[in-house]
Amino acid sequence: MERSDYVIRRLGWAIFTIFFVVTLNFFLFRVLPGDPAKSGARDPRLTREAQEAIRVRFGLDKPLLINMTGDPFDSQFFRYFGNLVRGDLGMSYNFSRPVADLLRERLVNTVLLVMVGQTLAILIGLALGIVAAWRRGTALDAAALVFGLFTWALPTFFLGIILLIVGSTLFGLPVGGIRTPGAAYASFWDEWFDIGRHMLLPSLTLTIIFLGEFLLIMRSSLLETLGDDYILTARAKGLSDARILLDHALKNALLPVVTIIALTLGFTVAGALQTEAVFSWPGLGSAIVEAVSRRDYPMLQGAFLLIAVSVVLANLAADLVYSWLDPRVKN
Amino acid sequence: MSRLRASGAAWIILLIAALLAGCGGTPSGGGATQPTTAPGSGATAAPESTAPPASGQTPATGGVLRVARTAAPDSLNPGAAYLSEAFDLFVLVYDTLITTDLLNQPQPQLAKEWSVSDDQRSWTFKLHEGAMWHDGKPLTAEDVAFTFNMIKEFDSFALIKDFTTSVETIETPDPTTVIITFEQPVANWVERFNGVFILPKHVWEQFPDTATALEFENREMIGSGPFKMVEYRQGEFTRLAAVKDHYLDPPNIDEVIFRVFTNDDAAVQALRAGEVDLASPPNTVIRALQSEASIKVEIGNALSLSDIILNVTDPENCPTEAGGKCTGHPALRDVRFRQALAHATDKQQFIDVLLLGLGEPGISLVTPGHGEAFNDNLQDYAYDVARANQILDEAGYVDSNGDGVREMPGDPATPLKLRFTYPSDQYAGDGPRFSDLLSGMWKQIGVELAVQPFDADTVTSICCPTFDFDVIRWGWGAGPDPASLLYITTTEQIPTGISETGYSNPEYDALFVEQGKTVDEAKRIELLHKMQEILLRDVPYIIPYYPQNVEAYRSDRFQGWLIEPDGLLSLSGRINLTRVSAVQ
Repeated sequence: MERSDYVIRRLGWAIFTIFFVVTLNFFLFRVLPGDPAKSGARDPRLTREAQEAIRVRFGLDKPLLINMTGDPFDSQFFRYFGNLVRGDLGMSYNFSRPVADLLRERLVNTVLLVMVGQTLAILIGLALGIVAAWRRGTALDAAALVFGLFTWALPTFFLGIILLIVGSTLFGLPVGGIRTPGAAYASFWDEWFDIGRHMLLPSLTLTIIFLGEFLLIMRSSLLETLGDDYILTARAKGLSDARILLDHALKNALLPVVTIIALTLGFTVAGALQTEAVFSWPGLGSAIVEAVSRRDYPMLQGAFLLIAVSVVLANLAADLVYSWLDPRVKN
Repeated sequence: MSRLRASGAAWIILLIAALLAGCGGTPSGGGATQPTTAPGSGATAAPESTAPPASGQTPATGGVLRVARTAAPDSLNPGAAYLSEAFDLFVLVYDTLITTDLLNQPQPQLAKEWSVSDDQRSWTFKLHEGAMWHDGKPLTAEDVAFTFNMIKEFDSFALIKDFTTSVETIETPDPTTVIITFEQPVANWVERFNGVFILPKHVWEQFPDTATALEFENREMIGSGPFKMVEYRQGEFTRLAAVKDHYLDPPNIDEVIFRVFTNDDAAVQALRAGEVDLASPPNTVIRALQSEASIKVEIGNALSLSDIILNVTDPENCPTEAGGKCTGHPALRDVRFRQALAHATDKQQFIDVLLLGLGEPGISLVTPGHGEAFNDNLQDYAYDVARANQILDEAGYVDSNGDGVREMPGDPATPLKLRFTYPSDQYAGDGPRFSDLLSGMWKQIGVELAVQPFDADTVTSICCPTFDFDVIRWGWGAGPDPASLLYITTTEQIPTGISETGYSNPEYDALFVEQGKTVDEAKRIELLHKMQEILLRDVPYIIPYYPQNVEAYRSDRFQGWLIEPDGLLSLSGRINLTRVSAVQ
């Protein structure tokens, strides 16, 4: 098969998946019991008229799928779909603000935090994995393995709270948030220094939590490759250890690692829910939790769409990178 | 091979070093960064309304007071906001005609005095002179009339709309006089005039209808209160600056910051580390905080209660047109059974175990914080398992098959097995413990609970007006009006979803209507006491306890707090934030 065919087919699948998610999103939240007009956080003392006014305001008085009494397309679903095609994600029920604005604010914060945490986790995890595999059976390998398994199994909130208390009491690091409220920054760099200080503990938490997975997968994948015959051949040819590792083993061992990295990056936008909760990080993860508890349908639909799109795109990227790393995949 | 190993290890060491370097290199060393103070105005005169601190000196001006909150405001628009975190801001940024003090008594605010007409329908308010909007325009009676009229006309204005119902006319004979006339006398006038934030006409008149008004983000929040909006970052913090030349209660401090923490532990740690000056700690850490020299913990009343909802809905009253299913256990419709449940409920144990002693046994839908309207003559059902068992024996609820669970009289096929639920997201901390305690208590009288927690929304959907449950644990936060919760047990509210029990009693309904028209304080209190008596007798609710408010502050940073020993505790309310001053 031609390469362009492969790319087009992958793209087609990606678009179909997003369409499917868009539709599913709409119904998923509406089959849940509960009513945005009087959901948990709102005051149950609201009169019936007030609840009705909220429903009208949000368009929840319209039929779900097809309007039998008037214009058949004047329903919640077609309104949602029509707005979406025009790029309008709607107004958040909870915040009375456009969902797109809210998502943008939160997304920036989340990507900032998670990208740093994940990049460090990937770099450190892969490095440790390579070292462990290369020095298989040594104390170093055992230590890396134990460390990887331990941190992977560690509950995020537990590690987070420990780091929070230690970081705050011993190092004077901020307890939470993304910047010091009310601080007047002398310069752009001052502001980023402040944000960096706030990011230190949460990104360290993420790094520790994530790196175990990369470490273990890198290690096992590399071990498998190192046992292959062509490594023996390379050794027989008298190649240096570094060349065997870098040119022969590592390239082949990277395939499963690419998959796992792509998947992880795709979920980046979903945020690191528990880390965000521990460190009061104003990211997407905590926004989603809040939206669920308030039955904020437009916010949930927008957030899930965002996650779906990024997961699909990351997978698409993985597919394409894969086909470049391993030309056999195309067929 | 050795090169690789070395470089790998070096990599990691470098990274860790870089991370630690970030810690050490902070400008303020080990401490939290002190927020930069907003430029304070020159006004230093101690306002009359603010008593000087104990030392007797003029309160120091200046300082930024930082308050920890565990949720963010949902909106800055009073017509779109529902969360108390938003109202924290509204009471500081806006004025209301009157306000309530820590003893829940009416006090002047924008109106310096008021009077009611002989027919008790018209209220005349004399406004303070010199009230100004934050943008420098004068506040007049015109703005007050505009606000009431606008909210009354709109289809929706969140929690404030109800305060304007049955307003008939609003007159403004001169710029400092407002006369508000109702269709009939209203007993809850304090709550109404205390609940409507006066909004500037020149900002809000641009909105032709409800929809456009409620989409207004109100980022600038032009109000007339003692604090004005400086900076708002949704989900992070809100900064308010003091209005030093405020006509009524200019603050001593320069600025207040409400900061959002998404978990209690972080908020407490922030208080300990000096990153915030005021927080509401969970009960579990109170003892630890009390031992810290620079932190003071205060405990006081709140207008809130916990409740055990019993589904007593009579099938005849089932609101089927509103989706009513009314599947409550038949035993719950028998008042003797409910009284036995009340006798078998050990309220003190809930307080000791769940609140670590910080609460009072509950008894009525009016809280002790409501003052005289709370009927303190009520005699509660004593915790007495033998008595409870005796009541059930006499009423014919026997355990005929010996499985430890009683059955309905003459119906051995229907055991006293009750479905029990609670909003697990709202009671994440103590939900399971409460269920265990209650199951244990009621088991002693042969009643079994099948516990099934749901999220708050699902509980709402099975609760009301569906009545598809037996027993729910939930709670209420009341408004300042003592009757603000007494209406939830009226028959009228069964189909609206506000009645949670389905309780219906014509005598009670009549009393409720009567008190609503009784402006005379003493007469009204008599009616309210009678209503509480009826509810206690009929047990639609069991009120396990009144939770108390706990707030902790940095006594090394701010002083001059007003705390009423028997009153409400509100350190982050307007009374205290306009009163406290920085410790020098």
